[in-house]
Amino acid sequence: MRLTVTQLAKAYGFLWALRDVSLDLPPGEFVALLGPNGAGKTTLLKLLAGLITATTGSIQFDGVAVSGDNPQARQRIGFLAPADHLYENLTVRENLQFFTTLYDRHVDPGALDAALDAVNLGRRADEYTGNLSSGMKCRLSIAKWQLLRPGLLLLDEPYGVLDGEGVDLLERFLQSHCAEGHIVIMASHHVSRALKQCSRALILHQGRLSFDEAKRQPWPSFAKAFSEFLPHGESWVS
Amino acid sequence: MDQAAPFKKRKGIHGALTLVVIAVALYWGLVVAPPDGYQGEVQRIMYLHLPSILTAYLSYFLVFIGSGMYLWKREKRDDLLAHAAAELGVLFTALTIVEGSIWGRPTWGVWWTWDARLTLTAILLLIYTGYLMLRSLIEDESRAASAAAVLGIIGFLDIPLIHMSVYWWRTLHQPPSILRPDKAPWDNVDPSMLIALTISFAGFLLLYFYLLALRYRVGEMRETIKMRRLEGDA
Amino acid sequence: MGLLKQTSLLLWKDLLLELRRRDSLLTMFFFGALLLFVFQFAFDLAPDKVADMAPGLLWLAFLFTGTLGLAQLFQAERENHCLDALLMSPLEPGALFLAKTTFNVILMLLVELVVMPLFWILFNLSAWNLLPQLFLVTLLGTVGFCVLGTILSAITLKARARELLLPLVLFPLMIPVLLATIRCMENVLRTGAVGDAWPWLRLLLGFDVIFLTLGILIFDWVIES
Repeated sequence: MRLTVTQLAKAYGFLWALRDVSLDLPPGEFVALLGPNGAGKTTLLKLLAGLITATTGSIQFDGVAVSGDNPQARQRIGFLAPADHLYENLTVRENLQFFTTLYDRHVDPGALDAALDAVNLGRRADEYTGNLSSGMKCRLSIAKWQLLRPGLLLLDEPYGVLDGEGVDLLERFLQSHCAEGHIVIMASHHVSRALKQCSRALILHQGRLSFDEAKRQPWPSFAKAFSEFLPHGESWVS
Repeated sequence: MDQAAPFKKRKGIHGALTLVVIAVALYWGLVVAPPDGYQGEVQRIMYLHLPSILTAYLSYFLVFIGSGMYLWKREKRDDLLAHAAAELGVLFTALTIVEGSIWGRPTWGVWWTWDARLTLTAILLLIYTGYLMLRSLIEDESRAASAAAVLGIIGFLDIPLIHMSVYWWRTLHQPPSILRPDKAPWDNVDPSMLIALTISFAGFLLLYFYLLALRYRVGEMRETIKMRRLEGDA
Repeated sequence: MGLLKQTSLLLWKDLLLELRRRDSLLTMFFFGALLLFVFQFAFDLAPDKVADMAPGLLWLAFLFTGTLGLAQLFQAERENHCLDALLMSPLEPGALFLAKTTFNVILMLLVELVVMPLFWILFNLSAWNLLPQLFLVTLLGTVGFCVLGTILSAITLKARARELLLPLVLFPLMIPVLLATIRCMENVLRTGAVGDAWPWLRLLLGFDVIFLTLGILIFDWVIES
């Protein structure tokens, strides 16, 4: 399942949020999406999620065109927002039931319970989601996406709401998800963490892709590309 | 302002033409055409009243077209057209109601009556005033544009249904099988009155498109200012 | 997954949530009953006049309680950005529209099932046998209200003064439904059957079908994150 993006551009009125972005990602790729605020990271993620439609250009995932007016294409695409996208007044189990049915991923009750156990929420299966702490909600999100197994998983600044344990759990999940041959694209300001996990880095600047390389050790080209965004005098040291 | 020059010239010619035609229409309507056999002089307001309401309907049709195009192509100019047309629609509808009321006072003895035509016009005014309120109460510009476009389509599609229901309601007993607004007998009308009406209608159309172009231009300029401001920040 | 299956999934979710919190239902019940009381003090409802005024008064009550329901319609989706979650899923927007419309119809129906008999009791009406027919006519009117109301509720999600704006834009558009429903109900009360108010019923059906179809087709453009 490849992700191919061709000359993607998005304009809001007369303003271009994204210009001339092209990508070709093989299965199993973990992409760190970096760049300053306002660079277009969120716009790119929204386009990939099929939430908004591009002004020009195209997105192809697994041979299917992804856009705002094609709901079926979103079958294999997921967006992990750690403590979000859960109904407060449904129980933990009901949330999983709802979303797995929504994505046409029919799961028997045993598998549901197993997924909850894997994130240590087994005993809370019948509690209202609203009563969980945000750390527990993050774990529930992880269980949700573990069950949904999207071919393309997107994340936008996930580290903000996670505690230490949550960070570990998330990173382990993302690694195993990629190992199964799925693509993960994560936008983050936590550059060191993102770089540690990724197999490829992208830097967006003013709507354009200024850097796109597979990871290597050492990585002088990245250091050079990235230091352009650092305050004057600083340098990037991985 | 080189790019504004050709626009100003066209505007000038259009404006002059409009003034001339309206002047002729007023002269014909107030002086040349004979007074109505039944209603007397007060009937002359029809030379304003009928073109007013027809222009309002034209406006709402343009709102519908602009709204549909905007939802389809998402081009700002369609949204600007819909907005300008809606404002003018409200203006001309309000004018129609005032003219109708002025006509009604000497004719029926009251300032307002719930007859089909007046009621219908009042409903139109409410719908499109609501449209303008919707636009002003949504902060996000693009969201406001989409929301207004949806309302613009719904409003226009509802108009025939409102027509039918209001006319049936006012025709007491059986609802008629065909839609037929009351009166307007075109058969035994003095040709001079028809001419007055036609000139007046032409004048109104010219006036309408003049105002529409102006209002559209204002909208366009606002967009340009916004864009320049955003670029200036970058 | 088909449109109908998605619709029923969302409807199941909304009904389950409502069963738990009962936010909308209780306020709607209470408000409807309250309005009946207010009518007694606001109007001179002499026994010979009240049957004539019944359809209009009932629909005044339904309009206002229905608007309460509409204002709350997307409440569950506003928490935790669940609307985004739905929009990023393989959900057809038309299914969201159908589910929310059906949900509001069910809520209003439950309220009407209580308020109409209550009206009969409070104002000593005797035509109990006509209630089923009246109820059916009300159902058609309720569908019309909810279809338009759901679309407008969705487009005004992020508007200021939303509680005022929603009725402001909805009520003028609702006039055909109001006229048609009330005329039919009046005929039923007067003659025991819909009879020559049939054209009104056809108009009502036409309204429902037109805007239901429109809603399914354009909800994609209506709902945004």
